[in-house]
Amino acid sequence: MTTQAALALRGLVKRFDAKVAVAGIDLDVPAGSFFGLLGPNGAGKTTTLSMAVGLLRPDAGRAFVLGQDVWADPVEAKRRLGVLPDGVRLFDRLGGAELLAYTGLLRGMDPAVVDQRAVELLDVLALSGAGRTLVVDYSAGMRKKIGLACALLHAPRLLVLDEPFEAVDPVSAALIREILQRYVVGGGTVIFSSHVMEVVERLCTHVAIMAEGSIRAAGTLDEVRGARDLEDVFVETVGGRTATGEELSWL
Amino acid sequence: MAVTFARLKLRVLGNGLRGQTWRIVLFVVGLVIGLWFAGIGFLLFTLSGVRSQPELAVLVPAFGGGMIVLGWLLVPLVWSGVDETLDPARFALLPLSRPTVLVGLFTAALIGVPAVTTLVATAGLVVGAGRHGGLPAAATEAVAIVLGLLLCVAASRAMTSAFSSLLRARRTRDTAAVALAMLAALLGPLQIAVFAAAQRAGLDRLVRAAELLGWTPFGAPYLIGFDVAAGRYAAALGRLAITAGTIAVLLWWWARTLESAMLGVAAAGAAPDRRRTTRSPVAQLLGRLPRTRSGALVAREVRYWWRDARRRASLITVGVLSVVIPFSGNLGALLTPDEVRTPPPPFGLLMGAMMTVGSLAAVSLANQFGFDGTAYAAHLIAGVKGRTELAARAIAYSVYILPLLVVASIVAAVLAGGPEHLPAMLGGVLAVYGAGLAVNLAVSVVAAYALPETSNPFAVNTGAGLAKSLLAMGALLGALAAAAPIVVLALVLDGVWSALLLPVGVVYGGGAVWLGITVVGELLDRRAPEVLAAVTPRR
Repeated sequence: MTTQAALALRGLVKRFDAKVAVAGIDLDVPAGSFFGLLGPNGAGKTTTLSMAVGLLRPDAGRAFVLGQDVWADPVEAKRRLGVLPDGVRLFDRLGGAELLAYTGLLRGMDPAVVDQRAVELLDVLALSGAGRTLVVDYSAGMRKKIGLACALLHAPRLLVLDEPFEAVDPVSAALIREILQRYVVGGGTVIFSSHVMEVVERLCTHVAIMAEGSIRAAGTLDEVRGARDLEDVFVETVGGRTATGEELSWL
Repeated sequence: MAVTFARLKLRVLGNGLRGQTWRIVLFVVGLVIGLWFAGIGFLLFTLSGVRSQPELAVLVPAFGGGMIVLGWLLVPLVWSGVDETLDPARFALLPLSRPTVLVGLFTAALIGVPAVTTLVATAGLVVGAGRHGGLPAAATEAVAIVLGLLLCVAASRAMTSAFSSLLRARRTRDTAAVALAMLAALLGPLQIAVFAAAQRAGLDRLVRAAELLGWTPFGAPYLIGFDVAAGRYAAALGRLAITAGTIAVLLWWWARTLESAMLGVAAAGAAPDRRRTTRSPVAQLLGRLPRTRSGALVAREVRYWWRDARRRASLITVGVLSVVIPFSGNLGALLTPDEVRTPPPPFGLLMGAMMTVGSLAAVSLANQFGFDGTAYAAHLIAGVKGRTELAARAIAYSVYILPLLVVASIVAAVLAGGPEHLPAMLGGVLAVYGAGLAVNLAVSVVAAYALPETSNPFAVNTGAGLAKSLLAMGALLGALAAAAPIVVLALVLDGVWSALLLPVGVVYGGGAVWLGITVVGELLDRRAPEVLAAVTPRR
């Protein structure tokens, strides 16, 4: 067991009915790294991250957050972990400030600290203008931001973000990037899933490429892409097809 | 085109069953139960053909048919929900004219166990009409019961669709909530009042009432064949016009609300409330509640019972039913003026009603995690303890329900003849409510199921309407069974001693809740990821 890994996955497997969604994944996310998990739609990214943070019970394998087994000792592991799940609703009939207060208190934080951090997060993420608007009436980008604020509130040592840049406008995306970069510089570790190459190339120190439920390549950004473009490496690794120009002639 | 919609619905139904053994079992159980009721209904409706009792040819179709229409109107609203397998919003982008979509969705709505049950049951009327008027009458009645089914389905769709759009909009939702409450309040007493009145009123009076009912949409379709049998062709035509007209109006109304349901996805979202507040986030959430985990959970649950349309609909119907049930036994007597002062209903009957109330009141929690859907993930991520979670949920729900139970107990005590009955009533209802909470907490963890993510608070997934009804029924009976010692005690103690029920009931109910929270809480700690998976809608 490597103690330096912020997140370590060992042989994670998940089957849905007959379909194998994740087929035995081993992955080490070094502490202090900015880790990008790449993969096409349906590669098993969300399934993997859900198993890593304790939302989805794996059929086999283990996950460790900073050395704590997520499934054997969930309380200790979850204390050090911030999560932004994808495709999951928030308690969206609360206002933004209420939702942050709720999340903080659920984590057993001191109410005074919750207040101070919540106000600051709302300001930084440009959400304080929304006032008492219910989160259900937020735009998609605002929802991602309030979700991120919920994940950051208790100052976790590891952030697991599922598609943090999906449906986010460029202005908010830049803001989120900046916050995450500062967080990593401060000693935190981020792992996020994405299929946007530009973002990954710009942010990440490490990447892993997933397809059909298994890791196809992993390492530092330079190890994985070599001298080439990350997108070319990705398409080649995943085995995508390129258009020849013959098909869809009727379009 | 309608055939395409029907095939689509059948395919979705089939795919929903594929590889899910428990769903197949549930479907078969539902089918068997449906056919069982259909068989009983069929036999009852054939009574309309007894030649020696000609008045039955009016009474059975009018009252029986009326009950069926009323059932279709109210039951989906307050109990089972509607099967929204084909969500109207999914057809918004297809190049289909509105009539096409309407006819298609209507055809799809006709497919299901309830429709089959209704058709089989009312087929008894075809036999009845045939006994009176031979083949022509039977053939007419056969058409008439199909029209009756169309009317029932149109009524239920129009009703749920209209209510869901009303409950959605913030401007109208409170009015809609009150209207829904009053409809729910109608369901129980109406039935009992009709039975009670039927027992007291003379036969000729009943026949007159049935004839009147026969000229309303509730009875009209089912009497057409009997008119033909008796040679009243003008009356038959008149009733046919009433039936067809009602169907047309209901479909027109449904089409209008359907339009907004189809736009619903795109048009959702209210004007943002940008008012700034100087209160700190924690204060905004909690008000005066303790600033702890439990405080936060209770605060959120209390808000959700009112802000979430689905929960609100459930809360209102259960709440109103609990106040109305003790009344309903006595209502029949109030409606018959020729009777002299009726004696108060027996204490045991009211006590039974109150126990039912206590058990019913807790049923809303049976799928509490389903209401939250995937949002429940936040509790998993934060690592909320099962006991804390369940205790907070029970407390928040009781904030609404306990006052109602007190009101219901007062009503029951007054009906029973005086305030000296209050302690017993209150004790009984609290004991059963406590046991009900414990049972429903367990059900909510063991048998959670996903609700569709539509804005229609009455929508359930295919087959889930039945699952919902069976689970609720099981929880209802389970609560009564869990409170069996108190039920026995209530029957044994009388007079002054009945007041003992209050302390005993409170302790028993409280103990049941505590035990439930402890045991089920531990179960939830182990099963939380499974609960989340169960309430996540399949996409």
